[in-house]
Amino acid sequence: MLANINVLLLDYALGSLKRQGGKSIFIFLVLCLLIFLLASVLMIADAIKFELNTTLKTLPQITLQRFVAGRQTNVSVERVDTILALNGVERAIPRVWGYYYFKPAGVNFSIVGIDAYEEPYKKRLSELTRTFDLSTLEKEGGMIVGEGVQNVLRENYYSDFFNFITPKGERYPLKIAGVFHSDIALESNDLMLVPKQAAYTIFGMPPEEATDIVVHVSNPVEIPTIVQKITERYPDLRAITQDDLRISYQNIFDYKSGFFLSLFIVCVFAFFIVIYDKASGLSSEERREIGILKALGWRMSDIVHAKFYESFVMALSAFLTGFCAALFFVYVLQAPLLRSVFIGYSELKPPFRLPFSVDVKMIVLLFFLSVPVYIAATLIPSWKAASLDADEVMR
Amino acid sequence: MICLHHVCKRFAQGDEAIEALKDVSLEIAQGECVVLRGASGSGKSTLLSLIAGLAQPSSGEIRVLDREISKLPEHLSALFRRAHIGFIFQKFHLIPGLNVEENVIAPLIPANLPLHVLHEKARIKMEALHIDSKAKRDVKRLSGGEQQRVAIARALINDPVLILADEPTANLDAKLSAELIEHLYMLKQSGVTLLIATHDPLFFDLDFVDRIVELKNGRIV
Amino acid sequence: MSLTPEIIALLLLDAVFLLFGGIAFVLSAGIAWRWRSNETTELQYALHRRSYLVSVIINYIFMLKIPLFAFFIYTCDKLSAIITGAMCASGVVNSVDFGLYLTLFKIVNLYVFGFWLLLNDADMNDEKLPFTRLKFILFILFFIPLCVEIGLEIGFFTSLNVSKIVSCCGTLFSASSTSSISLLFSVDEKIWMMIFYGCFALSVAAYASRSPLASVVSNLLLALFALIALILFFSPYVYELPTHHCPFCLLQKEYFYVGYLLYALLFSGTFYAAAGGVLDLVQKRYTKRFYRLSLFFNTVYVIGISLYPLSYYLRNGVWL
Ligand SMILES: Nc1ncnc2c1ncn2[C@@H]1O[C@H](COP(=O)(O)OP(=O)(O)O)[C@@H](O)[C@H]1O
Ligand SMILES: [Mg+2]
Repeated sequence: MLANINVLLLDYALGSLKRQGGKSIFIFLVLCLLIFLLASVLMIADAIKFELNTTLKTLPQITLQRFVAGRQTNVSVERVDTILALNGVERAIPRVWGYYYFKPAGVNFSIVGIDAYEEPYKKRLSELTRTFDLSTLEKEGGMIVGEGVQNVLRENYYSDFFNFITPKGERYPLKIAGVFHSDIALESNDLMLVPKQAAYTIFGMPPEEATDIVVHVSNPVEIPTIVQKITERYPDLRAITQDDLRISYQNIFDYKSGFFLSLFIVCVFAFFIVIYDKASGLSSEERREIGILKALGWRMSDIVHAKFYESFVMALSAFLTGFCAALFFVYVLQAPLLRSVFIGYSELKPPFRLPFSVDVKMIVLLFFLSVPVYIAATLIPSWKAASLDADEVMR
Repeated sequence: MICLHHVCKRFAQGDEAIEALKDVSLEIAQGECVVLRGASGSGKSTLLSLIAGLAQPSSGEIRVLDREISKLPEHLSALFRRAHIGFIFQKFHLIPGLNVEENVIAPLIPANLPLHVLHEKARIKMEALHIDSKAKRDVKRLSGGEQQRVAIARALINDPVLILADEPTANLDAKLSAELIEHLYMLKQSGVTLLIATHDPLFFDLDFVDRIVELKNGRIV
Repeated sequence: MSLTPEIIALLLLDAVFLLFGGIAFVLSAGIAWRWRSNETTELQYALHRRSYLVSVIINYIFMLKIPLFAFFIYTCDKLSAIITGAMCASGVVNSVDFGLYLTLFKIVNLYVFGFWLLLNDADMNDEKLPFTRLKFILFILFFIPLCVEIGLEIGFFTSLNVSKIVSCCGTLFSASSTSSISLLFSVDEKIWMMIFYGCFALSVAAYASRSPLASVVSNLLLALFALIALILFFSPYVYELPTHHCPFCLLQKEYFYVGYLLYALLFSGTFYAAAGGVLDLVQKRYTKRFYRLSLFFNTVYVIGISLYPLSYYLRNGVWL
């Protein structure tokens, strides 16, 4: 059927698309819209997945959280030594961190306590803070914020310091001693690095406790065994590994885009019927034209062939248009409206740019989800048109 | 060339059947020019579509060029038409929206010939009919005479040995009718077999017409 | 069950195939039942038109199935990143008991539908339409493996468990595997290699002798033993690892997706001779075009696959 392309027949098919005018434009627009929506959803999902995966790589191998009555609570710092004593554990670091809600801007900042004498619990942090002298930070009551955070503060007239309000209701000012830049938008837009001491005050936490403990293991293969040992020793600790997070994020996103796709399939079904209906309804001119052509020696297969070219050209051009529109919408306009559906926390977290992540796989996928379905919807109408009686033109 | 043997054609219309052709037997030799005369509804068009393989007889046998066209499956009878038969319809039946050249090559579009071969064929036919200067013009913007010539060029594009014309002068004024007859005469000269279905008296006393066959209510009289 | 977009796309197209295959099935049954090749009634013309619809549908399914097969393998390959233990498509395919059968059904269906289309062509080119009844009876039969394949595919994706730990191809395609594949390992791989070249020689001989039957048999044997020889003898040379025998890793980027090319060559080469040969047997004639195409594809495949051990030997001076 596709063995060799008949240029003249293709030309004829293009012409007849043009002659159908309004009908062609209507189908083209509907098809474009569907492909555009589908492509946007997949692109946003992929972009966020990409962003999260990059973020995940910077997360600790094992995070230990303490749960009491099903809720996360602080963990005692004493446990660190016991964990350090386990074979295979390279480092165990207590962390102090949490969210601080900044009402005027309506955003949550992540506050992370850092300590000059403790090795930072992750490489990223040490990279971020390398250029700053941490011990002076502690002495002078300063902090380091991301570029995005600095902008938010500046919009609220905090240009060189920021007043935290402690749980006791007291003011606790910290100087903005430095600003860091990060490629990871989530990091740059909400991270505040404060001295550990200051973090305890801001959160109102007792100093013998920590938010959680992160553990580094020399050999990643041993992670499951070490997790097992720790949870046996401390049953109230829950261990989250990097892999757990990766899989659960992947699942959440596949689930979310799967949900959208299911909706999409309902649309496809409706679309299928509309196309079937549109393609079946032949005007009297079209019927006459087919009759003439058959009398002139066109076979049914020639007419079906021409119709196939029509629908293929239609589907392919709508596919390309919809796809390019989605590229523009998602990566240039940053997907207004649609992205908020996907990023549950977009209201709470400061905005970030969607990183560009489009590959051949996605193009192939979009193609399979749209073009064959459209062509399928036109198969039977094309056949019906081709089997019109040719001797009608003789009457 | 053409041989009809006890051909009947019935159409089912609701419960009753209309007999459009009743026991028609006819033979036409190569190069003959035959006029099929009959009032409207006498079965002329039906007979032409049977000969072209556009429809199948209810009974009887039709042979064209020694092929039993009445038994050919649809796609093969289409190929047969493409190879051997040219059609001139009532009101020309050009395809609006296509230009002159596209209309002329329309029968051969599916043949997938090399482009230059096809264009050459079209050029020759258009030149012969003096429409080559309008090759790229939309057929809707042609005069009646030009449209008629496009229709003839289209019928000739596949170099047919048999031309079927169904009421070719039905909607023409006297001048155009005369022009058409002139063209038909030239075709006859070139050795093509012609079968013209008409009730136009113009055709009844032409020298080049070899025979007039009269149809009445589906029967040859 | 994990509803990744790829899986949804495959399932959606399965639904389309099922719908259209079902329509074609019903039409086929009607045609096979009422077709009289020597009658020229209105009914026969109507049936002929319907038979054309069936061929349009089957053409559509077949034309899509070819790229979709590659897409299926590609999806499995991608899923191997999520599923613990899987390194390539084979781990994913084998994570469900019938995964391998699903793949086999997909290949068999491609052969079967390709054959149907060749038969359809032969039928339509003859004014007596000699095979119309036969081809619709065949389609009624072929519809069963199509349904089985779609059923297996739906079952495959629903029972695919992301958190289950599966074995990687290194253990699946080795002597220690519990499956029937391990039996093949008990024979020296050089013997498989020689059988493979023997089959190729046979198919060339069949071409020379112009016998359709010999071509069919030799090419079916060639398809089978080419796969076995690929797993046991050639794949280590592709990967340059003596113990790596996986037929799926070939499809990965690290090996320049060479598998897609090799399999396409092997399948088209053996398809043309096998399907064309069966057709010639039915029609009692000899269509040179089929065998020439087949010989061409097979030869390119054999040269391509032989280059791997040869170049390895030239570079390292030893065989693996
Ligand atoms: N498709 C059809 N269905 C029913 N009746 C038809 C059909 N085609 C032609 N007829 C009938 O057959 C008779 C002959 O028609 P036709 O061949 O068109 O006559 P003519 O061309 O001589 O005017 C007319 O009575 C017409 O009504
Ligand atoms: Mg008439």
